[in-house]
Amino acid sequence: MNWAIVAGGSKGIGLGIAEALAKRSFNVLIVARNAEDLQHTKTFLEKKYLIQVEVFCGDLSHTETPAQLLEWFTTRHLPVNVLCNAAGLGGSIDFPNLPLEKIRTMIRLNLESAIALSYLFIPLLQQTTPSYILNVSSLAGFAPIPMKNVYAATKSGLISFSRSLKYLLKKDRISVSCLCPGPVFTKPAIEAETRKQMGWIGKQMAIRPDQVGERAVRAMLKRKMIIVPGRWSKLFSCLLRIVPQDYVARILYRFGKKK
Amino acid sequence: MKYLIIQLVLCCSTICAFTEVLPKFNNEDSLRPYALVAGGSKGIGYGIAIALAKRGYNLILIARHWDTLQTAKNNLEAKYHIHVDILSMDLSFDSCATAIAKWCTERNIRLKILCNVAGLGGANDYLSFPLDSLRYMVRLNIESCMALSLTLLPLLEKNAPSYILNVASMAGFAPIPIKNMYSATKSAVVFFSYSLRYQLKDKHISVSCLCPGPVYTKPEIVQDTKAKLGWFGNKMALDPETVGEVAVKKTLNKKLIIVPGTLAKISSSLIRFFPRRWVVNLYGSAGNKKKKG
Repeated sequence: MNWAIVAGGSKGIGLGIAEALAKRSFNVLIVARNAEDLQHTKTFLEKKYLIQVEVFCGDLSHTETPAQLLEWFTTRHLPVNVLCNAAGLGGSIDFPNLPLEKIRTMIRLNLESAIALSYLFIPLLQQTTPSYILNVSSLAGFAPIPMKNVYAATKSGLISFSRSLKYLLKKDRISVSCLCPGPVFTKPAIEAETRKQMGWIGKQMAIRPDQVGERAVRAMLKRKMIIVPGRWSKLFSCLLRIVPQDYVARILYRFGKKK
Repeated sequence: MKYLIIQLVLCCSTICAFTEVLPKFNNEDSLRPYALVAGGSKGIGYGIAIALAKRGYNLILIARHWDTLQTAKNNLEAKYHIHVDILSMDLSFDSCATAIAKWCTERNIRLKILCNVAGLGGANDYLSFPLDSLRYMVRLNIESCMALSLTLLPLLEKNAPSYILNVASMAGFAPIPIKNMYSATKSAVVFFSYSLRYQLKDKHISVSCLCPGPVYTKPEIVQDTKAKLGWFGNKMALDPETVGEVAVKKTLNKKLIIVPGTLAKISSSLIRFFPRRWVVNLYGSAGNKKKKG
Protein backbone atom coordinates (compact mmCIF):
# COMPACT_ATOMS: atom_id res chain seq x y z
CA MET A 1 0.00 0.00 0.00
CA ASN A 2 1.21 3.49 -0.78
CA TRP A 3 2.09 6.14 1.69
CA ALA A 4 1.10 9.76 1.90
CA ILE A 5 3.08 12.34 3.83
CA VAL A 6 1.07 15.13 5.40
CA ALA A 7 3.29 17.86 6.79
CA GLY A 8 1.33 19.74 9.41
CA GLY A 9 -1.37 17.07 9.49
CA SER A 10 -2.21 16.95 13.17
CA LYS A 11 -4.68 19.81 13.10
CA GLY A 12 -6.71 22.07 10.84
CA ILE A 13 -6.59 21.70 7.08
CA GLY A 14 -3.75 19.20 7.30
CA LEU A 15 -5.89 16.89 9.40
CA GLY A 16 -8.74 17.27 6.92
CA ILE A 17 -6.40 16.24 4.13
CA ALA A 18 -5.04 13.33 6.15
CA GLU A 19 -8.55 12.06 6.78
CA ALA A 20 -9.52 12.36 3.12
CA LEU A 21 -6.41 10.40 2.19
CA ALA A 22 -7.14 7.78 4.86
CA LYS A 23 -10.63 7.40 3.42
CA ARG A 24 -9.00 6.53 0.10
CA SER A 25 -6.91 3.93 1.94
CA PHE A 26 -3.56 5.64 1.79
CA ASN A 27 -1.25 4.95 4.68
CA VAL A 28 -0.46 8.26 6.26
CA LEU A 29 2.64 9.73 7.82
CA ILE A 30 1.88 12.85 9.78
CA VAL A 31 4.53 15.42 10.55
CA ALA A 32 3.97 18.04 13.23
CA ARG A 33 5.59 19.71 16.20
CA ASN A 34 3.33 18.64 19.02
CA ALA A 35 3.76 14.97 20.06
CA GLU A 36 0.50 14.92 21.97
CA ASP A 37 -1.54 16.17 19.03
CA LEU A 38 0.20 13.65 16.80
CA GLN A 39 -0.67 10.73 19.04
CA HIS A 40 -4.24 11.91 19.29
CA THR A 41 -4.53 12.13 15.50
CA LYS A 42 -2.95 8.71 15.07
CA THR A 43 -5.45 6.97 17.33
CA PHE A 44 -8.33 8.88 15.77
CA LEU A 45 -7.42 7.92 12.20
CA GLU A 46 -6.49 4.33 12.96
CA LYS A 47 -9.73 3.75 14.80
CA LYS A 48 -11.83 5.13 11.99
CA TYR A 49 -10.05 3.75 8.93
CA LEU A 50 -8.25 0.51 8.18
CA ILE A 51 -4.89 2.05 7.51
CA GLN A 52 -1.50 2.42 9.04
CA VAL A 53 -0.64 5.77 10.55
CA GLU A 54 2.86 6.81 11.51
CA VAL A 55 3.92 10.03 13.14
CA PHE A 56 7.06 12.10 12.91
CA CYS A 57 7.62 14.75 15.50
CA GLY A 58 9.67 17.68 14.23
CA ASP A 59 9.67 21.39 13.56
CA LEU A 60 9.65 21.93 9.81
CA SER A 61 10.93 25.47 10.14
CA HIS A 62 14.25 23.95 11.21
CA THR A 63 16.73 23.35 8.44
CA GLU A 64 17.54 19.75 9.31
CA THR A 65 13.99 18.38 9.67
CA PRO A 66 13.23 17.63 5.98
CA ALA A 67 16.43 15.61 5.65
CA GLN A 68 15.60 13.67 8.83
CA LEU A 69 12.19 12.89 7.42
CA LEU A 70 13.71 11.60 4.21
CA GLU A 71 16.04 9.39 6.22
CA TRP A 72 13.08 8.02 8.17
CA PHE A 73 11.52 6.95 4.87
CA THR A 74 14.59 5.58 3.18
CA THR A 75 15.54 3.40 6.17
CA ARG A 76 12.08 1.83 6.10
CA HIS A 77 11.93 1.48 2.29
CA LEU A 78 8.36 2.69 2.09
CA PRO A 79 6.79 3.76 -1.21
CA VAL A 80 5.68 7.39 -1.14
CA ASN A 81 2.86 8.38 -3.41
CA VAL A 82 1.54 11.65 -2.06
CA LEU A 83 3.32 14.60 -0.48
CA CYS A 84 1.17 17.29 1.15
CA ASN A 85 2.81 20.45 2.40
CA ALA A 86 0.15 21.74 4.75
CA ALA A 87 2.40 23.10 7.47
CA GLY A 88 1.98 26.82 7.68
CA LEU A 89 1.81 29.73 10.01
CA GLY A 90 -0.27 32.86 9.87
CA GLY A 91 -2.26 35.15 12.07
CA SER A 92 -3.68 38.56 12.43
CA ILE A 93 -0.42 39.96 13.79
CA ASP A 94 2.04 40.42 10.99
CA PHE A 95 4.76 42.74 9.73
CA PRO A 96 5.78 45.23 11.19
CA ASN A 97 4.43 44.22 14.62
CA LEU A 98 5.94 40.76 14.56
CA PRO A 99 9.42 40.13 15.97
CA LEU A 100 12.05 39.31 13.39
CA GLU A 101 12.41 35.73 14.60
CA LYS A 102 8.72 35.04 14.01
CA ILE A 103 8.94 36.46 10.50
CA ARG A 104 11.84 34.16 9.73
CA THR A 105 9.94 31.17 11.13
CA MET A 106 6.97 32.06 8.96
CA ILE A 107 9.05 32.26 5.79
CA ARG A 108 10.87 29.06 6.61
CA LEU A 109 7.76 27.12 7.51
CA ASN A 110 5.42 28.40 4.82
CA LEU A 111 7.81 28.51 1.89
CA GLU A 112 11.16 26.93 2.59
CA SER A 113 9.83 23.72 4.12
CA ALA A 114 7.58 23.06 1.11
CA ILE A 115 10.47 23.73 -1.24
CA ALA A 116 12.83 21.49 0.73
CA LEU A 117 10.38 18.60 1.17
CA SER A 118 9.42 18.61 -2.51
CA TYR A 119 13.07 18.74 -3.46
CA LEU A 120 14.03 15.80 -1.26
CA PHE A 121 11.03 13.60 -2.00
CA ILE A 122 10.86 14.01 -5.78
CA PRO A 123 13.27 11.07 -6.31
CA LEU A 124 11.01 8.86 -4.17
CA LEU A 125 7.86 10.11 -5.85
CA GLN A 126 9.38 9.31 -9.23
CA GLN A 127 9.52 5.63 -8.28
CA THR A 128 5.78 5.34 -7.63
CA THR A 129 4.27 7.35 -10.49
CA PRO A 130 1.64 8.57 -10.99
CA SER A 131 2.25 10.47 -7.80
CA TYR A 132 1.10 13.75 -6.34
CA ILE A 133 2.35 16.85 -4.58
CA LEU A 134 -0.17 19.09 -2.86
CA ASN A 135 0.98 22.45 -1.55
CA VAL A 136 -1.37 24.33 0.73
CA SER A 137 -1.37 28.02 -0.06
CA SER A 138 -4.22 30.46 0.47
CA LEU A 139 -6.46 32.95 -1.27
CA ALA A 140 -4.06 35.46 0.24
CA GLY A 141 -1.50 34.20 -2.29
CA PHE A 142 -3.49 35.70 -5.17
CA ALA A 143 -3.36 39.28 -3.98
CA PRO A 144 -1.39 41.13 -1.35
CA ILE A 145 -3.19 41.65 1.96
CA PRO A 146 -1.51 44.51 3.82
CA MET A 147 -2.70 43.25 7.20
CA LYS A 148 -1.22 39.83 6.52
CA ASN A 149 1.84 41.05 4.75
CA VAL A 150 4.39 38.28 5.22
CA TYR A 151 1.76 35.56 5.17
CA ALA A 152 0.43 36.67 1.77
CA ALA A 153 3.96 37.09 0.44
CA THR A 154 5.01 33.57 1.40
CA LYS A 155 1.79 32.11 0.05
CA SER A 156 2.21 33.90 -3.26
CA GLY A 157 5.73 32.51 -3.44
CA LEU A 158 4.27 29.07 -2.84
CA ILE A 159 1.73 29.44 -5.66
CA SER A 160 4.44 30.60 -8.03
CA PHE A 161 6.62 27.69 -6.94
CA SER A 162 3.80 25.18 -7.47
CA ARG A 163 3.03 26.43 -10.95
CA SER A 164 6.63 26.17 -12.04
CA LEU A 165 7.01 22.79 -10.39
CA LYS A 166 3.99 21.41 -12.19
CA TYR A 167 5.54 22.36 -15.48
CA LEU A 168 8.93 20.94 -14.51
CA LEU A 169 7.52 17.60 -13.34
CA LYS A 170 5.02 17.07 -16.14
CA LYS A 171 7.17 14.56 -17.96
CA ASP A 172 7.88 12.68 -14.72
CA ARG A 173 4.16 12.04 -14.22
CA ILE A 174 4.17 13.76 -10.87
CA SER A 175 1.17 16.01 -10.60
CA VAL A 176 1.48 19.21 -8.61
CA SER A 177 -1.55 20.93 -7.09
CA CYS A 178 -1.92 24.00 -5.01
CA LEU A 179 -4.80 24.40 -2.58
CA CYS A 180 -5.89 28.01 -2.12
CA PRO A 181 -8.78 28.10 0.35
CA GLY A 182 -10.53 31.18 1.59
CA PRO A 183 -11.24 31.46 5.30
CA VAL A 184 -11.30 28.04 6.97
CA PHE A 185 -12.62 27.86 10.50
CA THR A 186 -9.80 25.86 12.03
CA LYS A 187 -9.65 27.83 15.24
CA PRO A 188 -12.23 29.88 17.14
CA ALA A 189 -9.95 32.91 16.76
CA ILE A 190 -10.12 32.68 12.97
CA GLU A 191 -13.89 32.40 13.08
CA ALA A 192 -14.25 35.52 15.18
CA GLU A 193 -11.80 37.45 13.01
CA THR A 194 -13.46 36.45 9.75
CA ARG A 195 -16.90 37.41 11.01
CA LYS A 196 -15.64 40.75 12.15
CA GLN A 197 -13.58 41.70 9.13
CA MET A 198 -15.47 40.19 6.24
CA GLY A 199 -18.97 40.07 7.66
CA TRP A 200 -21.60 38.20 5.71
CA ILE A 201 -19.43 37.33 2.72
CA GLY A 202 -16.77 35.92 5.01
CA LYS A 203 -19.30 33.69 6.66
CA GLN A 204 -20.58 32.46 3.32
CA MET A 205 -17.06 31.86 2.06
CA ALA A 206 -15.83 29.96 5.07
CA ILE A 207 -15.81 26.17 5.15
CA ARG A 208 -14.87 23.45 7.58
CA PRO A 209 -11.40 21.93 7.47
CA ASP A 210 -12.67 18.42 6.75
CA GLN A 211 -14.59 19.68 3.72
CA VAL A 212 -11.52 21.51 2.49
CA GLY A 213 -9.43 18.37 2.90
CA GLU A 214 -11.95 16.21 1.08
CA ARG A 215 -12.23 18.55 -1.90
CA ALA A 216 -8.50 19.14 -2.01
CA VAL A 217 -7.70 15.44 -2.18
CA ARG A 218 -10.39 14.78 -4.75
CA ALA A 219 -9.14 17.56 -7.01
CA MET A 220 -5.52 16.59 -6.43
CA LEU A 221 -6.18 13.04 -7.63
CA LYS A 222 -7.77 14.58 -10.73
CA ARG A 223 -4.52 16.50 -11.27
CA LYS A 224 -6.03 19.92 -10.91
CA MET A 225 -3.50 22.71 -10.56
CA ILE A 226 -5.18 25.44 -8.51
CA ILE A 227 -7.80 24.19 -6.09
CA VAL A 228 -10.17 26.72 -4.57
CA PRO A 229 -12.84 25.00 -2.47
CA GLY A 230 -16.24 26.64 -2.16
CA ARG A 231 -18.30 28.58 -4.67
CA TRP A 232 -17.89 31.94 -2.99
CA SER A 233 -14.17 31.57 -2.62
CA LYS A 234 -13.89 30.57 -6.26
CA LEU A 235 -15.72 33.69 -7.34
CA PHE A 236 -13.62 35.77 -5.02
CA SER A 237 -10.40 34.24 -6.32
CA CYS A 238 -11.37 35.10 -9.90
CA LEU A 239 -11.99 38.68 -8.85
CA LEU A 240 -8.67 38.86 -7.04
CA ARG A 241 -6.86 37.68 -10.12
CA ILE A 242 -8.63 40.01 -12.55
CA VAL A 243 -8.55 43.25 -10.58
CA PRO A 244 -5.15 44.98 -10.62
CA GLN A 245 -3.19 44.14 -7.49
CA ASP A 246 -2.76 47.73 -6.45
CA TYR A 247 -6.54 48.17 -6.15
CA VAL A 248 -6.91 44.89 -4.31
CA ALA A 249 -4.25 45.87 -1.82
CA ARG A 250 -5.92 49.22 -1.28
CA ILE A 251 -9.37 47.71 -0.76
CA LEU A 252 -8.07 45.00 1.55
CA TYR A 253 -6.13 47.58 3.51
CA ARG A 254 -9.33 49.47 4.19
CA PHE A 255 -11.07 46.24 5.19
CA GLY A 256 -8.30 45.43 7.60
CA LYS A 257 -8.34 48.89 9.11
CA LYS A 258 -11.98 48.47 10.09
CA LYS A 259 -10.90 46.16 12.83
CA MET B 1 37.59 102.74 25.99
CA LYS B 2 34.55 103.05 23.80
CA TYR B 3 36.55 101.75 20.91
CA LEU B 4 37.68 98.78 22.94
CA ILE B 5 34.14 97.84 23.92
CA ILE B 6 32.99 98.03 20.35
CA GLN B 7 35.83 95.82 19.33
CA LEU B 8 35.00 93.38 22.08
CA VAL B 9 31.39 93.25 21.01
CA LEU B 10 32.43 92.79 17.44
CA CYS B 11 34.79 90.07 18.44
CA CYS B 12 32.13 88.34 20.45
CA SER B 13 29.65 88.53 17.64
CA THR B 14 32.12 87.12 15.16
CA ILE B 15 32.92 84.31 17.57
CA CYS B 16 29.22 83.70 18.02
CA ALA B 17 28.74 83.74 14.30
CA PHE B 18 31.61 81.36 13.92
CA THR B 19 30.35 78.96 16.53
CA GLU B 20 27.06 78.99 14.75
CA VAL B 21 28.62 78.41 11.39
CA LEU B 22 31.32 76.02 12.44
CA PRO B 23 29.22 73.02 13.42
CA LYS B 24 27.16 73.49 10.32
CA PHE B 25 30.27 73.50 8.23
CA ASN B 26 31.65 70.47 9.99
CA ASN B 27 28.40 68.59 9.82
CA GLU B 28 27.59 69.35 6.26
CA ASP B 29 28.83 65.97 5.27
CA SER B 30 26.96 64.09 7.97
CA LEU B 31 23.85 66.19 7.54
CA ARG B 32 23.53 64.92 4.03
CA PRO B 33 20.89 62.25 3.79
CA TYR B 34 22.11 58.69 3.71
CA ALA B 35 21.00 55.85 1.48
CA LEU B 36 21.70 52.22 2.27
CA VAL B 37 22.13 49.90 -0.69
CA ALA B 38 22.16 46.21 0.21
CA GLY B 39 23.97 44.48 -2.63
CA GLY B 40 25.34 47.72 -3.96
CA SER B 41 28.79 46.74 -5.18
CA LYS B 42 27.83 45.35 -8.55
CA GLY B 43 25.06 45.13 -11.13
CA ILE B 44 21.75 46.88 -10.55
CA GLY B 45 22.76 47.78 -7.00
CA TYR B 46 25.78 49.68 -8.25
CA GLY B 47 23.60 51.39 -10.86
CA ILE B 48 21.28 52.52 -8.09
CA ALA B 49 24.25 53.67 -6.01
CA ILE B 50 25.48 55.86 -8.89
CA ALA B 51 22.05 57.39 -9.35
CA LEU B 52 21.85 58.16 -5.63
CA ALA B 53 25.37 59.59 -5.56
CA LYS B 54 24.45 61.91 -8.42
CA ARG B 55 21.66 63.27 -6.24
CA GLY B 56 24.07 63.95 -3.37
CA TYR B 57 23.21 61.09 -1.04
CA ASN B 58 25.90 59.66 1.18
CA LEU B 59 25.99 55.93 0.75
CA ILE B 60 26.27 52.78 2.81
CA LEU B 61 27.05 49.86 0.56
CA ILE B 62 26.69 46.29 1.77
CA ALA B 63 27.94 43.25 -0.09
CA ARG B 64 29.85 40.05 0.44
CA HIS B 65 33.19 40.84 -1.18
CA TRP B 66 35.43 43.43 0.33
CA ASP B 67 37.44 44.15 -2.83
CA THR B 68 34.46 44.91 -5.06
CA LEU B 69 33.08 47.11 -2.31
CA GLN B 70 36.37 48.95 -2.07
CA THR B 71 36.48 49.60 -5.83
CA ALA B 72 32.88 50.78 -5.77
CA LYS B 73 33.70 53.14 -2.89
CA ASN B 74 36.77 54.54 -4.63
CA ASN B 75 34.95 55.08 -7.92
CA LEU B 76 31.97 56.77 -6.32
CA GLU B 77 33.96 59.01 -3.99
CA ALA B 78 36.27 60.09 -6.78
CA LYS B 79 33.46 61.01 -9.10
CA TYR B 80 30.89 62.51 -6.74
CA HIS B 81 31.42 64.60 -3.62
CA ILE B 82 29.87 62.18 -1.21
CA HIS B 83 30.91 59.91 1.60
CA VAL B 84 30.66 56.15 1.11
CA ASP B 85 30.67 53.64 3.96
CA ILE B 86 31.13 50.01 3.17
CA LEU B 87 30.14 46.94 5.16
CA SER B 88 31.20 43.51 4.06
CA MET B 89 28.70 40.87 5.16
CA ASP B 90 26.60 38.05 3.84
CA LEU B 91 23.02 39.25 3.99
CA SER B 92 21.62 35.74 4.08
CA PHE B 93 22.88 35.35 7.66
CA ASP B 94 20.32 35.72 10.43
CA SER B 95 22.35 38.14 12.52
CA CYS B 96 23.00 40.55 9.68
CA ALA B 97 19.93 42.77 9.72
CA THR B 98 20.16 43.45 13.44
CA ALA B 99 23.87 44.20 13.16
CA ILE B 100 23.31 46.68 10.33
CA ALA B 101 20.53 48.43 12.21
CA LYS B 102 22.78 48.69 15.26
CA TRP B 103 25.62 50.07 13.19
CA CYS B 104 23.33 52.75 11.74
CA THR B 105 21.68 53.80 14.99
CA GLU B 106 24.99 53.99 16.83
CA ARG B 107 26.25 56.49 14.28
CA ASN B 108 22.89 58.27 14.26
CA ILE B 109 22.76 58.11 10.50
CA ARG B 110 20.14 60.16 8.68
CA LEU B 111 18.86 57.23 6.70
CA LYS B 112 16.44 58.38 4.04
CA ILE B 113 16.51 55.56 1.53
CA LEU B 114 16.76 51.81 1.95
CA CYS B 115 17.41 49.76 -1.19
CA ASN B 116 17.09 45.99 -0.93
CA VAL B 117 18.92 44.90 -4.04
CA ALA B 118 20.81 41.83 -2.86
CA GLY B 119 19.51 38.80 -4.69
CA LEU B 120 20.55 35.63 -6.34
CA GLY B 121 19.20 33.85 -9.38
CA GLY B 122 20.14 31.53 -12.16
CA ALA B 123 18.76 29.30 -14.86
CA ASN B 124 17.57 25.74 -14.17
CA ASP B 125 17.60 26.43 -10.49
CA TYR B 126 15.22 24.08 -8.78
CA LEU B 127 16.17 20.52 -9.53
CA SER B 128 19.80 21.03 -10.45
CA PHE B 129 20.92 23.20 -7.55
CA PRO B 130 21.79 21.68 -4.17
CA LEU B 131 19.20 22.21 -1.46
CA ASP B 132 21.46 24.55 0.47
CA SER B 133 21.59 26.98 -2.45
CA LEU B 134 17.80 26.97 -2.61
CA ARG B 135 17.64 27.88 1.04
CA TYR B 136 20.30 30.50 0.49
CA MET B 137 18.16 31.99 -2.25
CA VAL B 138 15.07 32.17 -0.04
CA ARG B 139 17.09 33.76 2.73
CA LEU B 140 18.84 36.29 0.55
CA ASN B 141 15.99 37.22 -1.78
CA ILE B 142 13.11 37.34 0.70
CA GLU B 143 14.31 37.13 4.27
CA SER B 144 17.06 39.73 4.05
CA CYS B 145 14.67 42.17 2.41
CA MET B 146 11.99 41.73 5.06
CA ALA B 147 14.50 41.72 7.90
CA LEU B 148 16.24 44.92 6.81
CA SER B 149 12.93 46.67 6.26
CA LEU B 150 11.88 45.69 9.75
CA THR B 151 15.06 46.53 11.63
CA LEU B 152 15.66 49.83 9.84
CA LEU B 153 12.05 50.92 10.08
CA PRO B 154 12.54 53.04 13.26
CA LEU B 155 15.39 54.93 11.62
CA LEU B 156 13.42 55.52 8.42
CA GLU B 157 10.45 56.63 10.44
CA LYS B 158 12.58 59.15 12.30
CA ASN B 159 13.85 60.64 9.06
CA ALA B 160 10.52 60.60 7.26
CA PRO B 161 9.65 61.30 4.49
CA SER B 162 11.80 58.36 3.51
CA TYR B 163 11.86 55.63 0.89
CA ILE B 164 12.20 51.88 0.60
CA LEU B 165 13.12 50.38 -2.75
CA ASN B 166 12.86 46.61 -3.09
CA VAL B 167 14.31 45.03 -6.18
CA ALA B 168 12.18 42.18 -7.51
CA SER B 169 12.00 41.19 -11.14
CA MET B 170 9.54 40.72 -13.95
CA ALA B 171 9.82 37.07 -12.97
CA GLY B 172 7.85 38.06 -9.88
CA PHE B 173 4.75 38.73 -11.98
CA ALA B 174 4.46 35.22 -13.36
CA PRO B 175 6.20 31.94 -12.65
CA ILE B 176 9.08 31.00 -14.92
CA PRO B 177 9.53 27.21 -14.72
CA ILE B 178 13.26 27.16 -15.37
CA LYS B 179 13.78 29.91 -12.84
CA ASN B 180 11.43 28.35 -10.36
CA MET B 181 13.01 29.47 -7.11
CA TYR B 182 13.95 32.86 -8.45
CA SER B 183 10.45 33.77 -9.57
CA ALA B 184 8.84 32.32 -6.43
CA THR B 185 11.06 34.44 -4.20
CA LYS B 186 10.62 37.52 -6.36
CA SER B 187 6.86 37.08 -6.36
CA ALA B 188 6.99 37.19 -2.57
CA VAL B 189 9.04 40.40 -2.76
CA VAL B 190 6.45 42.00 -5.05
CA PHE B 191 3.65 41.06 -2.65
CA PHE B 192 5.62 42.25 0.32
CA SER B 193 6.18 45.63 -1.34
CA TYR B 194 2.52 46.05 -2.19
CA SER B 195 1.45 45.36 1.36
CA LEU B 196 4.25 47.37 2.92
CA ARG B 197 3.36 50.42 0.88
CA TYR B 198 -0.06 50.57 2.47
CA GLN B 199 1.18 49.72 5.93
CA LEU B 200 3.72 52.53 5.91
CA LYS B 201 1.67 55.15 4.15
CA ASP B 202 0.69 56.90 7.37
CA LYS B 203 4.30 56.99 8.47
CA HIS B 204 5.34 58.87 5.31
CA ILE B 205 7.58 56.11 4.10
CA SER B 206 7.10 55.42 0.43
CA VAL B 207 7.67 51.86 -0.77
CA SER B 208 8.62 51.06 -4.34
CA CYS B 209 9.35 47.82 -6.11
CA LEU B 210 11.66 47.65 -9.10
CA CYS B 211 10.69 44.88 -11.53
CA PRO B 212 13.12 45.02 -14.43
CA GLY B 213 13.16 42.71 -17.40
CA PRO B 214 16.53 41.35 -18.50
CA VAL B 215 19.41 43.54 -17.32
CA TYR B 216 22.85 42.98 -18.76
CA THR B 217 24.82 42.80 -15.55
CA LYS B 218 26.98 39.84 -16.48
CA PRO B 219 28.15 38.37 -19.80
CA GLU B 220 26.27 35.12 -19.02
CA ILE B 221 23.01 37.01 -18.76
CA VAL B 222 23.62 38.63 -22.15
CA GLN B 223 24.14 35.20 -23.67
CA ASP B 224 21.23 33.63 -21.84
CA THR B 225 18.79 36.36 -22.83
CA LYS B 226 19.84 36.31 -26.46
CA ALA B 227 19.49 32.53 -26.63
CA LYS B 228 16.11 32.35 -24.92
CA LEU B 229 14.29 35.52 -25.82
CA GLY B 230 16.13 36.25 -29.08
CA TRP B 231 15.73 39.58 -30.78
CA PHE B 232 12.95 40.64 -28.47
CA GLY B 233 14.97 39.95 -25.36
CA ASN B 234 17.90 41.90 -26.68
CA LYS B 235 15.64 44.86 -27.42
CA MET B 236 14.08 44.65 -23.99
CA ALA B 237 17.36 44.42 -22.09
CA LEU B 238 18.86 47.44 -20.38
CA ASP B 239 22.21 48.21 -18.83
CA PRO B 240 22.34 48.43 -15.02
CA GLU B 241 23.08 52.15 -14.95
CA THR B 242 19.92 53.03 -16.86
CA VAL B 243 17.91 50.75 -14.60
CA GLY B 244 19.41 52.37 -11.50
CA GLU B 245 18.71 55.86 -12.78
CA VAL B 246 15.08 55.09 -13.63
CA ALA B 247 14.61 53.24 -10.36
CA VAL B 248 15.89 56.09 -8.19
CA LYS B 249 14.00 58.74 -10.13
CA LYS B 250 10.71 56.91 -9.77
CA THR B 251 11.33 55.92 -6.17
CA LEU B 252 11.73 59.58 -5.30
CA ASN B 253 8.48 60.20 -7.19
CA LYS B 254 6.83 57.59 -4.93
CA LYS B 255 5.90 55.17 -7.67
CA LEU B 256 4.97 51.69 -6.50
CA ILE B 257 5.83 49.31 -9.33
CA ILE B 258 8.75 50.41 -11.46
CA VAL B 259 9.38 48.66 -14.75
CA PRO B 260 12.16 50.40 -16.68
CA GLY B 261 12.06 50.34 -20.48
CA THR B 262 9.10 50.61 -22.84
CA LEU B 263 9.21 47.06 -24.14
CA ALA B 264 9.59 45.63 -20.67
CA LYS B 265 6.66 47.74 -19.52
CA ILE B 266 4.46 46.43 -22.33
CA SER B 267 5.41 42.81 -21.71
CA SER B 268 4.93 43.19 -17.99
CA SER B 269 1.38 44.43 -18.47
CA LEU B 270 0.70 41.55 -20.83
CA ILE B 271 2.10 39.07 -18.32
CA ARG B 272 -0.09 40.45 -15.60
CA PHE B 273 -3.14 40.47 -17.83
CA PHE B 274 -2.92 36.94 -19.24
CA PRO B 275 -3.91 33.90 -17.21
CA ARG B 276 -0.89 32.60 -15.35
CA ARG B 277 -1.20 29.16 -16.94
CA TRP B 278 -0.55 30.55 -20.43
CA VAL B 279 2.40 32.54 -19.27
CA VAL B 280 3.94 29.52 -17.55
CA ASN B 281 3.59 27.45 -20.71
CA LEU B 282 5.04 30.24 -22.80
CA TYR B 283 8.01 30.71 -20.50
CA GLY B 284 8.44 26.96 -20.25
CA SER B 285 8.64 26.46 -24.00
CA ALA B 286 11.06 29.37 -24.32
CA GLY B 287 13.22 27.69 -21.70
CA ASN B 288 13.13 24.36 -23.50
CA LYS B 289 14.08 25.97 -26.79
CA LYS B 290 17.44 26.82 -25.40
CA LYS B 291 18.07 23.34 -24.06
CA LYS B 292 17.53 21.79 -27.48
CA GLY B 293 19.60 24.41 -29.19
